[in-house]
Amino acid sequence: MSDKLEQELKKALRRVEPPASFAERVLARAAEEEKPGAPLRPWPQWLGMGGLRWAAASALCAALATSGLVYHHERQKQGEEAKEQLMLALRITSSKLQIAAEGVQQMNSPEENQP
Amino acid sequence: MTSAATALANQLNFEDLVREHERMVFSIAYHFLQNGAAAEEVSQDVFLALFRGLSKLESRAHVTFWLRRVTCHRSIDYARRNKNAAAEVSWDELPEQPPENNSAQRGDPMLSKRLRQVIATLPEKMRMIVILRYQEDAGLEEIAKALRIPLNTVKSTLHRAHAILREKIGAAIGEGNV
Amino acid sequence: MNEIGGVMKRIGTIVALLLATQLTAFAQDWDPGGTLKKLSTRASKTVDVTLDRSMLQFASGFLDAKDPDQARARKVIADMKGIYVHSFEFDKSGEYTEQDVAAIRDQLKGPEWSRIVNVRSKSEGQNVQVYFRKEGEKFKGLVVIATEPTEFTFVDLVGPITPEDLRALGGQFGIPKVEMDQNSAGKKGESK
Repeated sequence: MSDKLEQELKKALRRVEPPASFAERVLARAAEEEKPGAPLRPWPQWLGMGGLRWAAASALCAALATSGLVYHHERQKQGEEAKEQLMLALRITSSKLQIAAEGVQQMNSPEENQP
Repeated sequence: MTSAATALANQLNFEDLVREHERMVFSIAYHFLQNGAAAEEVSQDVFLALFRGLSKLESRAHVTFWLRRVTCHRSIDYARRNKNAAAEVSWDELPEQPPENNSAQRGDPMLSKRLRQVIATLPEKMRMIVILRYQEDAGLEEIAKALRIPLNTVKSTLHRAHAILREKIGAAIGEGNV
Repeated sequence: MNEIGGVMKRIGTIVALLLATQLTAFAQDWDPGGTLKKLSTRASKTVDVTLDRSMLQFASGFLDAKDPDQARARKVIADMKGIYVHSFEFDKSGEYTEQDVAAIRDQLKGPEWSRIVNVRSKSEGQNVQVYFRKEGEKFKGLVVIATEPTEFTFVDLVGPITPEDLRALGGQFGIPKVEMDQNSAGKKGESK
């Protein structure tokens, strides 16, 4: 293989950037998969028809029940807990800042500034 | 390790892995399918498959190998399912490649495009071998493992690909048939 | 793909442990004399929230964009590197003293810190101080210390939070808003 053709092939097949926000879309889809009620994926065509399909369905459900669903449920629970912690933290912060704001406002109210 | 720590570790690793490998995965699919929308669909499916199976992977090197292999197979599957759909050579979909500073890279600006068009006409396995070899700089054994074909098949297919490419594009790069 | 287990899980363990170590180390930065730990042993109720950047991003994925508070939360934390809140409630006053919290306040005396609000209410015994941390012209963080006779709260927000963000943060998440006059920020004084 000539160097020239190799060089041109490497140039032509340089990696390209994916579209903008590609990673964000992937992460969003992954997060969607974690939520309860996410639609089941379509039945894979390669599993074929008839009895084989039903046998494969049972095996697939058993595998999902013992690993994937347990993992996803756990992850969902952790995510909800983290969210609750976050909202609690923001509420506490907001309430303390509010006290500060009220104090400043009282300090600057016209009544306070009367001689 | 607690399951919370595992979940967190997986969360961190998955996002990092997406950002680290998105160019590789997308580019393999894009160069193979010649269509941005199709490439994005395949790439997203690949990363979701990674997300589901992250705990089963053993190392970063394993992840890279796994991503390449799955991207190749899913791209080929996609092409087979959509055989009747005309390939859109929509090069305008992506931003222009940044200009090369290396003087050796200057020359016919359309040559890369023509090469990609020729590559798009190659049979599927051959096309993918060329992409792995020249986009990913993968070794022949690595290609054989990724595509699950014998090493000798990779060698002979690559040899035939060179012949086809030289015949179709050789004149443009100043090479004749051997 | 190979079977379950193996090096990836071990890598995950190492990452999680390093993260935990970092969190502990950060907490120790603010707690040289173990004040927060001491207060937690005396408190009847403790709120302890530790969310570093990765946890904030993780939590963000579960925020509901349709809920106004949660949508606001997502905007607030978008560039944050960490949110740490420690709040202690005590059964009666006197369970903690100014000396207890002095070690924490001493951490805020460096040149990078500016106290922009110091509000004290003698009648209610409330005292709230707000500090900004800056590096050059860039805001790097915010600390709020709020003390009441039977409550002590320490809030540490790490990230590029500005006075404008601060004004947006107050009076949200279910807390009624009172407009904070921007010109008042930075003046110290007593409200009553």
